[in-house]
Amino acid sequence: MTEHSAPHEEESPHGNAEQHQNSQRFDDAEYRGEARSRRDRRRRHHSSDNTDTGSFPMVRKRPSRSASVNAKRARIVTSVLVGLLCALLGFGYVVQVRNTSSSYESLSEDELVRVLDETSTQVDKLEQRRNELNRQLTSIQSAADKQKEAEKIAQQNAQTSGILSGRLPAEGKGVTISVSQRDKHVDAATMFTLIEELRNAGAEVISFNSARVVTSTYIKDTKNGLIVDGNQFSSPYTIKAIGNPSDLQNAIQIAGGVGSRLKVTFNASVNVVQTDSVKIDEVRQPQQYQYARTVE
Amino acid sequence: MAAVLGLIVGVVGGIFLQPDIPIVLQPYLPIMVVAALDALLGAARSFFERSFSDKVFVISFLSNVITATLLVLLGNQLGVGSQLQTAVIVVLGIRIFSNVSSIRRFIFRG
Repeated sequence: MTEHSAPHEEESPHGNAEQHQNSQRFDDAEYRGEARSRRDRRRRHHSSDNTDTGSFPMVRKRPSRSASVNAKRARIVTSVLVGLLCALLGFGYVVQVRNTSSSYESLSEDELVRVLDETSTQVDKLEQRRNELNRQLTSIQSAADKQKEAEKIAQQNAQTSGILSGRLPAEGKGVTISVSQRDKHVDAATMFTLIEELRNAGAEVISFNSARVVTSTYIKDTKNGLIVDGNQFSSPYTIKAIGNPSDLQNAIQIAGGVGSRLKVTFNASVNVVQTDSVKIDEVRQPQQYQYARTVE
Repeated sequence: MAAVLGLIVGVVGGIFLQPDIPIVLQPYLPIMVVAALDALLGAARSFFERSFSDKVFVISFLSNVITATLLVLLGNQLGVGSQLQTAVIVVLGIRIFSNVSSIRRFIFRG
């Protein structure tokens, strides 16, 4: 301590007084000791660079020279310099604050590697998911195709069976036969034979007056006409049939056939007209089966 | 006065100009800012100790910034960039803390 105090006296009066003032103000033994040793060290190195953490170079102001323009100018220059540096600091700070969240450019190598790893794992996952979805899509598409096919077949079936069962109206080439009795009653058996002959000749759809002829159609005799499927009809009878017109005509008008029988036995007139378009609008509601069940 | 004025001008300039930092400079800018902050706080402390000098402030500011940048550059070239960056930040942080504590002692007298 004594060693330190000796050079203490040699300090410039300006700095000394200031230091005394400080010491008095703080009255802190630790602080005073620190300050003194610092001062000592500084003088030893003849420089104001102190690299110790927690300390900042304490530089005494130069003894003010005699008031000159030069000093004043220097002060202005340094204060401008100080302002400029502070401006640089503020500028850099703001720029950095705005920049931190911007991009990968500021990330370190490790972080970049991690980000890359994460991304590639995610890519793998997404690829997997895509494959899965593709498979699903294919299976759904094939299912839809199958369903469409089934629908088409069902529609075709519905059409054919609809015509067959008399559920749908039909149209096509065929013949129109009109049978009108004169004095003798045309019996049901003969008319049924006529229908059977048409069927044998390949008639696809047949109607009797306003009744659609289907597999279960029956014809019954009554005093003044015929009952077909519960409908009372009287002469003249009109039978429309869709099929090959010439075949159908031949089937009726063949020698010794049902046509000649009608003419000879019942003295009825039979008129067969071939047409390109026979339209059969008569339909029959499908039968509700009470006893029959399909075999499964 | 000049310091405060300069800070305000710099912050306002940064906000309004919104410049793009060159990529080369990007890893060094945060270190530069911290080093400059340390220099500024050291200057504030010396101001309170009534030993503030413009010249010393300017020199210490520049040397702080340059040293920190060179250290980080060296670290990057040696492949220990992030570690050295952390080291610089820690050292500057300790200095900032001690500077702030002495400033606090001057202001609150305790």
